[in-house]
Amino acid sequence: MPTRTQEALQEFWATKVAKVGVVFLVTLILISVFVLVFYPLNFGEELWNNPIVWADNPKAVGPSWTQAFSSQAQAEHLIFELPEPVESDFSQGFKRQLFQVSFLFEADDFPQFTSFTMRDVQFQEDPPFVTLILHRPDGEAIILLDVDIPYPEPEDSPPYVFYSEDPRRIYLSGSPAVRLAVATFARRQLNMEVLVSDIAAVGPEKFMFGVPSSQGGRATDVLKGEYTLSVLVEGVHADDAMGSARFVVAGQLFGLMGTDNLGRDLAVGLLFGFPVALFIGVVTSTLTAGVGGILGVISGYKGGKVDMVIQRTVDILNNVPLLPILIFLLFIVGSSLWNIVILLVVFGWTSLTIIVRSMVLQIRDGEFIQASVALGAGTRRIIFRHILPQVAPFILAQLIFFTPSAILAEAALSFLGLGDPSIPTWGQILDRGFSDGALYLGYWWWIIPPGILIVIAAVTFVLIALGFEPVINPRLRRRR
Amino acid sequence: MNMADVMLIEDIRMHYQVRTGIFKTIPLRAVDGVTLAVPPGQTLGLVGESGSGKTSLGKLTLRLMEPTAGHLYFKGKEITHVPEGRLKWFRREAQMIFQDPFASLDPFMTVDQIVEEPLIIHRIQGRESKVHRALEAVRLTPVEEFINKYPHMLSGGQRQRVAIARTLILNPSYIVADEPVSMIDASSRVSVLQILSRLQKEYNLAFIYITHDVATARYFSDRLAVMYLGKIVEMAAADELISTPLHPYTAALIAAVPDPDPTNRLTKRRVIPGEPPSPINPPPGCRFHPRCPYAAKICRDEEPPLREVEPGRYAACHFSEKLQDDLLTLAHGHVDASSGRSAQPPTGASPKP
Amino acid sequence: MSDVSLYYETLRGPVQAVDSVNLEVPKGEAVGVVGESGCGKTSTSICIMRLLPDNIHTFTGRILFDGRELMDMTDSEIRSQIRWREVSMVFQGAMNSLNPVIRVGEQIVEPLRVLDKVQKDEARERGVARMRQTGLPAEAYRMYPHELSGGMKQRVIIAMALIMSPKLVILDEPTSALDVSVQAQIMNLLKDLKREEDLSMLFISHDIALTSDLCDRFAVMYAGRVVETGEAEQVLQDPQHPYTEKLLASVPRLRSDVTPEFIPGAPPDLVNPPPGCRFHPRCPYVMDICSKREPEMFPTGDGQYAHCWLRGDEHG
Repeated sequence: MPTRTQEALQEFWATKVAKVGVVFLVTLILISVFVLVFYPLNFGEELWNNPIVWADNPKAVGPSWTQAFSSQAQAEHLIFELPEPVESDFSQGFKRQLFQVSFLFEADDFPQFTSFTMRDVQFQEDPPFVTLILHRPDGEAIILLDVDIPYPEPEDSPPYVFYSEDPRRIYLSGSPAVRLAVATFARRQLNMEVLVSDIAAVGPEKFMFGVPSSQGGRATDVLKGEYTLSVLVEGVHADDAMGSARFVVAGQLFGLMGTDNLGRDLAVGLLFGFPVALFIGVVTSTLTAGVGGILGVISGYKGGKVDMVIQRTVDILNNVPLLPILIFLLFIVGSSLWNIVILLVVFGWTSLTIIVRSMVLQIRDGEFIQASVALGAGTRRIIFRHILPQVAPFILAQLIFFTPSAILAEAALSFLGLGDPSIPTWGQILDRGFSDGALYLGYWWWIIPPGILIVIAAVTFVLIALGFEPVINPRLRRRR
Repeated sequence: MNMADVMLIEDIRMHYQVRTGIFKTIPLRAVDGVTLAVPPGQTLGLVGESGSGKTSLGKLTLRLMEPTAGHLYFKGKEITHVPEGRLKWFRREAQMIFQDPFASLDPFMTVDQIVEEPLIIHRIQGRESKVHRALEAVRLTPVEEFINKYPHMLSGGQRQRVAIARTLILNPSYIVADEPVSMIDASSRVSVLQILSRLQKEYNLAFIYITHDVATARYFSDRLAVMYLGKIVEMAAADELISTPLHPYTAALIAAVPDPDPTNRLTKRRVIPGEPPSPINPPPGCRFHPRCPYAAKICRDEEPPLREVEPGRYAACHFSEKLQDDLLTLAHGHVDASSGRSAQPPTGASPKP
Repeated sequence: MSDVSLYYETLRGPVQAVDSVNLEVPKGEAVGVVGESGCGKTSTSICIMRLLPDNIHTFTGRILFDGRELMDMTDSEIRSQIRWREVSMVFQGAMNSLNPVIRVGEQIVEPLRVLDKVQKDEARERGVARMRQTGLPAEAYRMYPHELSGGMKQRVIIAMALIMSPKLVILDEPTSALDVSVQAQIMNLLKDLKREEDLSMLFISHDIALTSDLCDRFAVMYAGRVVETGEAEQVLQDPQHPYTEKLLASVPRLRSDVTPEFIPGAPPDLVNPPPGCRFHPRCPYVMDICSKREPEMFPTGDGQYAHCWLRGDEHG
């Protein structure tokens, strides 16, 4: 004969919603485990909120796979690591290094920006010259920039090593020197009447990767073909050198889920949202159900003063305006994840307590409890052996029911700007999207995925709770 | 009354405070001065209608409710205000069987767990064989067929037998049975009562049998006590009390209960008017006087004590001796028309002996 | 009623709550339907009132009322022509189903106001008359249910059932929640009403002694079937079906010293009733044929019938 638990599980599994819910839940858990294994726990502080990490990503661009739905070829995001020079020689008192990369640029749109990063520049006396030259498919070359490497401080001693801990990143699109060089190139080689200020307005890439448009004026068309970037490093000592470099031609598409306006890879942020949502949902609902259930049992069984104190507390908590108080308290205690969880528990246990109390009151007056008292059973035995087994399934069901509301509550708080800033959550991504105008600018990839994920996580638990409904509520129970 | 009685109840009272307004409470005298003795191996039937306090009295004797005044002695030891922690011995000896055999069994426990529970509470060894013996004693055989079932899989009679097995497993000497068969189908009722009778003889059990049903009370009890509004109005050996009631209320109760008889329909039953008043505000004097067909002035003014009218027969009525014949006809003789209502003369009324 | 069957649909299969039931209520007589819980007493009555739940599996047979075939009538015809007007019902526990916020008088006359569109004053007059008849004071018309005692509420329910002057009243355990002294009062009231109004009554109860207090004829039901019918004298004094006999023997008597007996076993599961006679597993006189073939209603005397092979041998 199956036990009650087995019966209950069979009953649960018999419903379709339960099966779907369980599949969803298993997926959520697997993704969360994956994230926890492969990402550092301080992901939020170390990576997500560190703009340097995301500097070379294109800002606020859609996912790569949207290319499939676009008639225009969008610029892909190109990152070129230049780990070692293609040429390096020292002769006649001159040290010369050449880093070089060639790439095909076939998009219909210009790159969003270009950037150059160099590492481990070392020299004996004077800093070496670093020159960036872009060779275009039409045979022209632009000397983009002579990188200005500062002189060492007097107290340092040779060999001087720069940019090893802290690579030097030059945002070419924003460099005045690059603008000037590009403006000069455009005027001379492309015969366009372009001012430096024009370039500052539209970005140098329009001319670096462009030819005069048939429309005339200052418009340009993309020049497709093979480009080569040469980085020339010139010094006077044999070991004057640059360690490695990176060149980024930022595209108009990025990754699986696109980026936000800080260039953060939304795929990573959304992925990290899984364990956070599960944590908030499960921890909050467990604590809520635990506190609510225990207080309900105590309130119902003990009665008297204890009951009155608990019930008045419930009345007060039920009648305060929740949202303003939450906002106020979070403002005071600071919005860490734990604070949010605790506040949600503090304001969430009351409804369960009321119901459990009334259930316990009913059970306590039941004859089988009196029968137990007549047999000499103590309080503890009555509560644990007779009362808890009756209310436990209900509390468990409520626990599952609390989970989606906790997830939604956190999302709502985040959306109000009260989320824990050190951890990316779906609610916060959504919040950033809204406050940065993603809705008006049409950055749908920034808004829809977190929204859908919040709904899916909530629905998962609702489905499971619905699956438990016939187990808890015998009227819905099908008899086999 | 002597100390050999299993349970001795002395002038026990229980008053609740009933809230009638925001600040106003008035006492409800559920049990108002009852003195009773239950000798070993005997059944005392406690008969009364709803609100008579019979269930409260039963629970008082088990310390499931706290008395307001009075004393309880169990096997000569006072148990009235002994704290629960020092009552374990009493809890082994005194048990209760409840009215609703479904409500009195934990729905989440199997028959085995239910019957075993008292042994766990009182830390008694050899549980398995004891459970088997208890279930055999209540005729739930073969035991294996029942032992792993949950209460909802059993019929009413079977559930009540599980409840009986649970009370018996501690070898008690005193059991309060609160309407144990009123929720069981007629055809199984007698089987439960027979089991109780047999066990009573076997273990020399003392019973308080609480019921509203005079017929089963007569069948199962040695003595009967009739309660009305928290007081005992009549007490005697069961057969005597039924055949020759000495209190008008007893007579009326008996009159109200038909035996299956085709002539019943041809006559009207003699009934007392009205309904039991609320025990919150009982009438002064004799509590039964507003409904009593024989009430006189003294009944309104003076509360009759429970006195020994005949040897071994107690009644709380000023006129018990005078009314004996009237009460006999009231209880057992059919009459032609009810008091006060215009009815046609009955046809073929035949009083039953 | 002839050959009426009512099966409920459940997930385990159809429950044969009422199976080929034949029942006759002569004018001005009270017929008692007795049986244990779950034997189909109440289901039989809702067949007549057509108050059927949703999960009906089978509902067949003929129900003739005053020469009219009820089974051919539509639900709305039943509602407007039969229910309450011709046949009314006092439900088990109905006194607890009075609306607590409506004056009881208005609840009594509601059928008049709804079905006959009777004016308020006239309805009130008729309502008060019915209340007097059921032993209620006229003041009670303006009272609310909580101001009345249990016995008075039951009288209200009976007054409500009588308000349209029906020919047949079905009483389903009308005294089950009442104290014994009040129960006797109500039974006396029913006796008076039956005589004064020439009412036909169908009295449904598990209590055979109580039924004998009112009824001229008996129908004993067991496991969805009527197993014995007859005059009160016949059924009570000379029961022909073993179940009736044992049921009578199981009643503790107040006025005689017969020791009550019990019937071993429990009523069968109506999803899967035993073959043949449904009582055979508990019957002390069981024969080979009992488990094989279902007995007919064999006549055993003047108007008495028993659904038992024992009687078939003697008479058929």
